[in-house]
Formats: sequence, C-alpha cells, structure tokens
Amino acid sequence: MSVTVVPAAGASATVRRNFWRGVWRVMRRKPSRMVGAAIVAGFALMGIFGPLLYPDPLPRDTQALYAPPSWRHPFGTDFEGTDVLALVVTGARYVLLTAAVTAVITVVLGTAIGLFSGFKRGRWDSVLMRLTDMKLTIPGLPLLLVLSTIWKFTGAIEMGLVLGLLGWGGVARAVRSQTLSLRERGFIEAARGLGLSTGHIVGRELLPSMAPYIAMNTLIAVTGAVYAQVGLFFLGVLPFEANNWGVMLNLAVFGGGALTTTAALPYLLAPLLAILLLTLGIVLVVDAMDEIFNPRLREE
Amino acid sequence: MALHRSRARAVAWRLAGHLARGFVMILVVTTISFLIIRNVPGNPLAARYEKLVEQGMAPDAAARAVEVLYGFMPQGSLWDQYVGYMSGLARFDLGESLMVPGSPVSDVLLSATKWTVLPVLAGTLLSFLVGVVMGVYAAIKRSGVLGDMLAISGSLLHGVPQYVLALLLGAIFTTLIPILPAGGTADILYEPGFDAAYIGSLIEHATLPVLTYALAGYGGWILAMKSSVVTVLGDDFILAAELRGMKRSIIFRYVARNAILPLFTILALSLGLLFGGSIFIERIFNYPGLGLMLIDSINNRDYALMGGAFLLITVAIIVANIVADLLYTVIDPRVRGEGETA
Repeated sequence: MSVTVVPAAGASATVRRNFWRGVWRVMRRKPSRMVGAAIVAGFALMGIFGPLLYPDPLPRDTQALYAPPSWRHPFGTDFEGTDVLALVVTGARYVLLTAAVTAVITVVLGTAIGLFSGFKRGRWDSVLMRLTDMKLTIPGLPLLLVLSTIWKFTGAIEMGLVLGLLGWGGVARAVRSQTLSLRERGFIEAARGLGLSTGHIVGRELLPSMAPYIAMNTLIAVTGAVYAQVGLFFLGVLPFEANNWGVMLNLAVFGGGALTTTAALPYLLAPLLAILLLTLGIVLVVDAMDEIFNPRLREE
Repeated sequence: MALHRSRARAVAWRLAGHLARGFVMILVVTTISFLIIRNVPGNPLAARYEKLVEQGMAPDAAARAVEVLYGFMPQGSLWDQYVGYMSGLARFDLGESLMVPGSPVSDVLLSATKWTVLPVLAGTLLSFLVGVVMGVYAAIKRSGVLGDMLAISGSLLHGVPQYVLALLLGAIFTTLIPILPAGGTADILYEPGFDAAYIGSLIEHATLPVLTYALAGYGGWILAMKSSVVTVLGDDFILAAELRGMKRSIIFRYVARNAILPLFTILALSLGLLFGGSIFIERIFNYPGLGLMLIDSINNRDYALMGGAFLLITVAIIVANIVADLLYTVIDPRVRGEGETA
C-alpha cells in the first residue's frame, strides 16, 4: 500500500505545481485579472482587520455634520459627523462575514444535493430536482421581504443562514449536471470496475474534477449574498443593529436625502463604490478562473 | 402534416406539464403567504377582533369584519383558516387594505400594476434593441480592445445589482445635474388627462425608472447575443457561405437571424427578473408600482396588501418562467425534435 501512496503523492505535487504555473500564466496575460485578485484580497483583509484600525465606537465630529470630502475625511462625514470611510471599512466585516456564511452553506448543501442527485439518479433525483426548480423559480427578494415580517434575521450569521438556505439551488443544478456527464467518463467507469467504494469515487474522483465549477459558483453566490443583504438593509425592513453598507445606503437616501441634496452625496457614493469595486474584483477573478479551468477558452 | 400534428401534440403536452407545475408553485407560494400573515408577531387578526368586540360589536359580526379585512377568520383551526383564505383567493378576494381604507386589496393592486408593467416593458424593449446590436458588435470584434471593453461592460452591468444602478442614476440626474424629477409619476400641478403637459410630465418622471430597467437588462442581452453570435459564426453553414464567396452583408444577415432565436426565451425571463427588481427601483424613485406597494405594506403592517403584492409579483415571475420555457420549445428546432421523439 505504501508503495503506491508515495508515487501518487509525488505525482499530485507535480500536478499542483503545474496548476499554479498555469494560474500564473493566465494571470499574467491579462493584467486586469491581477487587479481583480488584488481587489478581492484587499476586501478580505478589510473584512478581517478593518474594525481593528478604528476605535469602537467610531469618533464623532459634531462640528462637521455631512462635511464635504477633505484630507481628514476622504468621503466626508455622515449625519452624526462620523467619518464615512471608517464606516465603509468597519462595515465590511458584517457584509463579508454574511457572504462567507452564505457561501459555505450554499456550497455544502448545493454540492451534497447535486452529487447525491446526479449519482443516485432515479426517484430521489427527480424529487430533489423538482424542489431545486421550485427554489429557483420563487423569486428570492419578495420572499425575503415577507419573511422579514415574522423573523428579523439581522445578525450576520442569521442573515448568512437565511441567504444560504434560499440560495443553494443554482449550485445544486450545476453540480448535478456535471456529475451526470462525469459519471459516464472512462475514469469513473474504471474506478467502478476496480470495485472502489462509492465514497472513494465521489470524494477522490468526482469532487476534484468538479472543484473549479464549485469554486466559480461559490464566488457567484458570494456576490449574490452581498447584494441581497445590502439591498435588504437599504430597503429598511430589518432593524439596524450594526453598521454595514446597506444601513449606510438607507440612511443616506431616506435620512439624508442624498437624491435631492448634494450634502449627503459622498455618504451615498462611498458604499456604492465599495460594492462596485467588489463586483469588479469578483467578475475579473471569475474570468481568470474560467480560463484556468477551461482550456478551450484559452486564446493563444 | 403528420409531423406538424405530432409537434403540436408535443407542445401541448409540455404546456400541460408546465401548467401543472405552475399550479403547484402558486399553491406553494400562497401557502407561504398564508402562513406568514397568520404568524406575524402581535397577531393583528386577534388584536383587531378584540378591539372590535371591545367597541361593542357582536362577536360574530366582529369575526366577519376581520375576515373581510384579512381574507380569513380570526379563530378556528389552522386548516379552516387555510381553506377560508384559499377559497377567498380563488374568488380573487384578497381582503381589504388598511393603508387605503375601505378599498379591496385587489383594486389597490390593480391600480399599482400599470405603474410597474409599463416602465418594465419600455425598459426591456430599449435594452433588448441596444443590447442585441452591441452584442453582435462585441462578437465580431471579440479579439479587439473594443470588443473586450463591451464584454466587460456587459459583465459589470449584468453583475451590478439594480439598486446600485438606480442610485447612481439618481445621484447623477437628480442631485448632481438636477434635470430629472426625483420621484412620483407626474407633477401634481397637472390634471391627469390627455394633454401635452401631463403626458410630458409622465414621461419625464418615468425616464429614470425606465433607464434603470434598461441598463439592468442590457448586460444580459449583450452577453447572450455575443455568445450566440460566436456559436453561429462557428457553424458549418456560415463557412459554406463564405466559401461560396457570398457578400459579407448577406452572411451577416444569416448570422443575425440564427443568433437572435435563442434570445427570445431570455426576453420572458428578463421580464420576470425586472418585475422582481421593481421593488428597489420603485422604492428609490418613489414610483407607486407593485414593488413600492410591497415595501409600504410591510412598513405599515398592512398584511393583507402585503400578501396580495407578494402573490402578484411571484405569480408574474412564475408565469414568465413558463412562457420562457414554452417559447424555447416553439422556437428552437433541436428542443422541438426532442419533444417529438419522447
């Protein structure tokens, strides 16, 4: 047994090195992809370390309400005189934590259901896929809105849970169709012919070849989660407990009148800019991943 | 002829299957709406009933008054309430609105529907026309810088949520360069009627919502059209046409006609998507359509109206999905072929 394990480990190390070399090559060809990766990494750092940079609670400058942008306040101040940039940076943790919880639930549930459905086929498959279709057809936002009347899911973990439980449909569909096509391939048939266990086939053969799809769908789920939670807070149907981008948008538009006076405009634009930058980063990273994992797309 | 009939039968079967599935979906959605209204904190039904009884109304009459308001009885088992609610829905009786006292929810919703449907249709049409043309261009120039830029603009606009677009447009056109009104459907100065001033004001107020719908839809169209054109460009019949020395303009017409077919199915889906997006856009531009109605009803605890608006928006999206899938069957010959053999 140990004889076979050693060369296998060596081979996988080579594969991994080649993989990273491929990643580097794809990234280098279009500089925009490097920018994308840098933006995503920057936001991740902001979410982890951002709140540590500022005192809690944030200092208020009561002499400067809705102050215009300056060196001291690059995006001005809000209605209480708090620095808007500080609000964006500290608000990132809530937004990204929710997105991370959503992503984990989406990926675990979606992959499990998709794999099970595609591998077992038959009756379970049709029942699960009917359910998935149903989840995909019922529009999420109106459902979230009416749900907010009976359950105030304000906390980051709760919010992530709700969004994840409502959002696994797309990943499940993608994983199922991948499973259906992969299970007919030679290497899976060979594994089955060797009498390997289902656990081995699913865990060691199927999952690694689907990892890129799952990873891309995860990123898409993350963006969806960011939009949904910011949107929910913006609409103001949930109580504001902690600061985040959606709360900022709501207060800027409906409290500060940012759509009628210019005073609150930087307060509105700063969180919008953060959302746009995050989207741009994720779009660019997905584009790079697409090419890394799909050799047919490579333009030589 | 026989082929034609079997095709019709395949479409009919598919339609029947979709209708059955759509019916189940609507049943699920109405059940969700019922359960939520019934379990709202503070139990508004019981509170209303108690209040009416306290005011000296006979318990029977009070129960009936509450039923008129919410569409189901304040007392009784869960099942009885459910049956009452559903039979009311079957008669399009959604209860009565609190926000607009004395008017049935169905009337309130009906008057809100036009403010959602018309801007959504106008925005979809605009984004369809622009997006398709740009998509063809992006496909032809796909290895150039301009094609790249167009594709990235498409991905970005497709990815950005509708409320971000609406807020940016609002910030630009109502705050920075205040040339467009910030909200409402028309200036209250003008009497509603068929005169130029009123209609001009209507159009002015509808510009920002329509523009937002159009920008939100544009990304999807350009991306879909680009990939569709790229696929068709690789088809053998295009190569054959090129080899026969056909004029480029004629080849272009072949490409466009074949590439646009699959897009008609997305049209229905996109309508559904924009219907859902109306919640943000109407809230931001204070436009009194179904989406704003849903938000207002939640904020005012008008649960009968909330249930009605939720149902109408959801059912519209479900119907759009069914229409999209049916169109797919009718338009794409390959899917049609599958239906025949099955």
